[in-house]
Amino acid sequence: MTAHETSQTRIAPAWTQQLRALLRSQESVLLFITVIAVLILSTQTDKFLTVRNLLNQGRLMTEIGLIALPMTYIIVTGGIDLSVGSIAGLSAIMLGYGWYNLGLPLELAIVLALVIGAIAGFANGLFIILFRVPPLIMTLATLAFYRGLAEGIAQARSVRDYPEWFYALGQRETLGIPNQLYFLVIAAIITAIILSRTTFGRSLYAIGNNELAARFSGIPVRRNKLIIYTLSGFMSGFAGYVLVSRVSTTRSDMGSGWELDAIAAVVLGGTSIFGGSGSIVGTMIGLVLIQLLKNGLALTGVTGDATIVVIGSVLILSTLINSVIQRRVEGL
Amino acid sequence: MASITQTVSVRRQRFSPSSILRSVLGSQESVLLLALILLIVWVGSENRQFLATRNMVNVFAGNAYIAIAALGMTMVIITGNIDISVGSLMVTLSMLSGAISVYDGYPSWVSTDLTIALAWVLPVIVGALVGAIIGFIVTYLRIPAIVVTLGFLSILKGLLIIVSGGDRITGMPKGYALAQIRPLEDVSMPIFPAFFQTLTMPVFFMVILTILVALWMRYSPTGRALYAVGGNAEAARLSGISRHRVVMTAFILNGVFVGIAAVMNATQFSVIQVTLPPIELTIITATVVGGVSILGGTGTVVGAMLAAIFLNTITKALVFLDISPFWTRAIQGMLILITVLADLYRRHRQSA
Amino acid sequence: MQPPILELNHITKTFPGVTALDDVHFDIRPGEVHALLGENGAGKSTLIKVASGVYEPDSGEIIVEGQPVRFGSPRDAQAHGIATIYQELLLYPELSVAENIFMGHAPRTRLGAIDWATMRSRSLEILASLNIDDMDVTRKVGSLTVGNRQRVEIAKALSMNARVLIMDEPTAAITESDVERLFSIIELLKQRGVGIVYISHRLNEVFDIGDRVTVLRDGRYIATEPVDQMTEDKLVSMMVGRTIDNLFPKLDAPIGKVVLEVRNLTRKRVAHDVSFQLREGEIVGMAGLVGSGRSEIAQVIFGFTPAHAGSILIDGREVRITTPGQAMRYGIAYLPEDRGTQGLIRQMDLRANTSITVLRALSRATFINRHKETQLAYSTIEQLSIRAYGPQQLVGKLSGGNQQKVVVGKWLATRPRVLIVDEPTRGIDVGAKAEIHRLMSELAQQGMAILMISSEMPEILGMSDRILVMREGRLVAEFSRAEATQENIGLAMMGDIGNNGKSVNSQLDGVEWQA
Repeated sequence: MTAHETSQTRIAPAWTQQLRALLRSQESVLLFITVIAVLILSTQTDKFLTVRNLLNQGRLMTEIGLIALPMTYIIVTGGIDLSVGSIAGLSAIMLGYGWYNLGLPLELAIVLALVIGAIAGFANGLFIILFRVPPLIMTLATLAFYRGLAEGIAQARSVRDYPEWFYALGQRETLGIPNQLYFLVIAAIITAIILSRTTFGRSLYAIGNNELAARFSGIPVRRNKLIIYTLSGFMSGFAGYVLVSRVSTTRSDMGSGWELDAIAAVVLGGTSIFGGSGSIVGTMIGLVLIQLLKNGLALTGVTGDATIVVIGSVLILSTLINSVIQRRVEGL
Repeated sequence: MASITQTVSVRRQRFSPSSILRSVLGSQESVLLLALILLIVWVGSENRQFLATRNMVNVFAGNAYIAIAALGMTMVIITGNIDISVGSLMVTLSMLSGAISVYDGYPSWVSTDLTIALAWVLPVIVGALVGAIIGFIVTYLRIPAIVVTLGFLSILKGLLIIVSGGDRITGMPKGYALAQIRPLEDVSMPIFPAFFQTLTMPVFFMVILTILVALWMRYSPTGRALYAVGGNAEAARLSGISRHRVVMTAFILNGVFVGIAAVMNATQFSVIQVTLPPIELTIITATVVGGVSILGGTGTVVGAMLAAIFLNTITKALVFLDISPFWTRAIQGMLILITVLADLYRRHRQSA
Repeated sequence: MQPPILELNHITKTFPGVTALDDVHFDIRPGEVHALLGENGAGKSTLIKVASGVYEPDSGEIIVEGQPVRFGSPRDAQAHGIATIYQELLLYPELSVAENIFMGHAPRTRLGAIDWATMRSRSLEILASLNIDDMDVTRKVGSLTVGNRQRVEIAKALSMNARVLIMDEPTAAITESDVERLFSIIELLKQRGVGIVYISHRLNEVFDIGDRVTVLRDGRYIATEPVDQMTEDKLVSMMVGRTIDNLFPKLDAPIGKVVLEVRNLTRKRVAHDVSFQLREGEIVGMAGLVGSGRSEIAQVIFGFTPAHAGSILIDGREVRITTPGQAMRYGIAYLPEDRGTQGLIRQMDLRANTSITVLRALSRATFINRHKETQLAYSTIEQLSIRAYGPQQLVGKLSGGNQQKVVVGKWLATRPRVLIVDEPTRGIDVGAKAEIHRLMSELAQQGMAILMISSEMPEILGMSDRILVMREGRLVAEFSRAEATQENIGLAMMGDIGNNGKSVNSQLDGVEWQA
């Protein structure tokens, strides 16, 4: 019965449909907001729209960015990882502890930090798939647990005075661009391609939209979940390393609150918190928008942290706009 | 329907030792209570100092404001939502309370007593308002609670810093320190007189509010509706329960309790400052360890209160066991994990 | 004859693209069981949703005790004494039996507080009035059996003084002894003057407890008759509207060698010691009640819930299958029972849905070849004549039949040798149904081995070369196409064939056993 109607529906050419879909996407809405924000901010102060300032902002957002990439994967599958900041802190501590207290060569200590990060993420994933602990709860528990391990191991001692080469990643530039920004850009490109082009990426969307149907279609749901939580842990560990390299010291409270910044960037970027849709491009725009707002408002004389008011509002508003658009598209 | 009654003999439930044991171990509240007692006894036997009155008071009072805030969180989570902005809200309301009390620009007819009363009450009202706004966005604008409260976490934190300028507040008027009042100071108690006489206001608020809320959640239709909405939203709708109204109520009450907790927090010390430890996670932890399922539909406030005390007891106990307090969080994290796994296991067995 | 409590006159209800109900009549009198019959998609569930206030009809009138009424919500219907027990029971698993019964209208004390003691005792009274005296009203509903949960639902309806009780396939998921208890409860309710609307696929139940029967077909009203003036054949022909042979054009296919064999396959609690063979070109029907282990055994073969014991042989060689991925590599495909939750990803487009089973084949070094993927979507649309505007159409917006074709398409894309279909035509319109049957016939002709699980007797009888019957997790009977009849299959599904000792269930009295 539906058949007759749909066959009679006038079909618009594919490219106009695609264009319309593109314009309606959260990414375009966000890009538009970002451009407006940049224009407004740049009229308020000349210090904002300078290469130097923008590159410096790139440096500052790298750690959250590295975490927000796998966070996008996780949220696309309908999960969440609240433990990322604690994993970053734990990895940072292990780096300092391994080098300073255990006397490992610094290179090995870095590897140790990354491995610990990956193991921490793997443990999250393992509990989530084996015991079906809701990800929110599992990672809430490990948020406390990993941070606790960091605090327990560190005993409030901080480690500093790393050799000079160690700061190259966090504080130096290559071709005028901060070194860690290369890592962020490369990681973003790779994760974006994987999510949008590969079978693995497709499986993440399938899991987020209908996990049961994905399993019935022969997709290795549990394996893929384990992979993304492990990846999230690894990237958090890497972000911890980048942070230590940038700020020259290791403290156990490093990375506190990062989970919320990363989730904010992902959700602002249009990834549905319920899973099933989203993109790395969106996440990156969300990340940039947050950083530019923070910086631009600060430069125009808005009190330091007060900028986060704007960010919080933008988060809620953009989700609202997105959901209104979605509802109209779906004809609800 | 009258004809039914005649044939009925209301059967009493049978009790046997094993069924009692099962029901005791089957509820999170009794498990927590048992664990709490065992912990106190064990640590006390390791180190007598732990049982000193002063310390015992600290054990019960230290997390009272967490327990009070957990009352609201319990309701919110039971309806199947979450609020991660409570930490920011609590600090904001603490600062608000302090600021009202030290403000010196009131007209002359406003007495110090009135100022103090305002400083105690206004934060609670503001908390309710913020809760209402969050509830409105969650229900009527249909944005997931986790996103809304993530946004509010930023908004409140920012507003706080704008308004306070990051300053600390000192010099509160005499009489403001609600949390330092010891209501039983002059009352002679038959048991543990020193303990009860040293107990401060927050503990009383914690206990009385918990009892009131527990009664409300058990005996009022709205209280039961919280469980209905979180347990099966569709069934609740068919029973004529308005999800929007119930979720709004939960968020508004959450704001109220955060307000009360904030006042307790603000009046505890002589300095109020903008420190933002992740209280929201401690509150959520207390709630979850207390047996409230994150999936909604089940849990009680008594469990949350016991969990808040339990978490604090662990922190305090470490000192007396010569364990570095830096391990506190790791132990708390382990504890949440164990509780959650036990909870899942119990559910699994029940449904099988 | 008493006047009806509830009348539905000239009810029409359309959804985008589908006329679900077209000028339908229905009424229910006090103290009667009025059975509502029809094939899947005939409009039964839409009708009961209109009666219970979930849907408002486009036109037509609803009359309660002579007064025209309008149901804006289920609440309104409840206020008029109309209660509905849906297949998926609407209960709160974490709350007690008593509270489930009284949620939303709990007895109060003078102070307005919920009166728990009264609530418990009234729950016990209501249950006792239904001759249920073995239920602990303080227990959490989540820990009860399905049969007991259903009794809680009935008690809930009575607590609201329901005068009309609509039951949607109440026997679909409960055990035989629960069915007997349900029937005795229904008898009690009748005596008390409650009108019962009874929806079931099982004709024998209609003859057992029904007073009148109304038949719907393709959204249209066919007839309302007293049950005692009906015969099964007459009812079936009213439901189907044509003879079985015309409906299912099963084509002859050469039957070849054994492709799949299972030996003593066992999975704890759901399937025991199941053995059978499946040959090339053969369609084997699998009958049984819901919960008899049909879908479960299929999911064991497919590796979704791996076997605890027994073996699976492909081409005579024993294989180990523990995940769907492995099953797919051996050429097994499984079209699951529930299209919406297990088969489709509604939010994704047609292209992504058809390619999901063959992503690896469509990709190079894990990069999906978009062009090939689109080609696959186009060829699926063409091969199965799916009515969609193109590969980009979201599958959630297709009609039921076209959605089912998408699911069929995604499995055909894997080029299976063994195709297991679970309720392949549930809830789709007659045209699409015939197309799917023809397709299955053609696939069998091409040498595919097909295992068809179905609850629809005409489908089983019309399509199968051989028929297996499952009951309580065991394979209890096998019939050839020639010897199979509605009666002997029905008996095997519910009765005691192959089980020594126990007598044939009383509800089957009057049905002749001709094995």
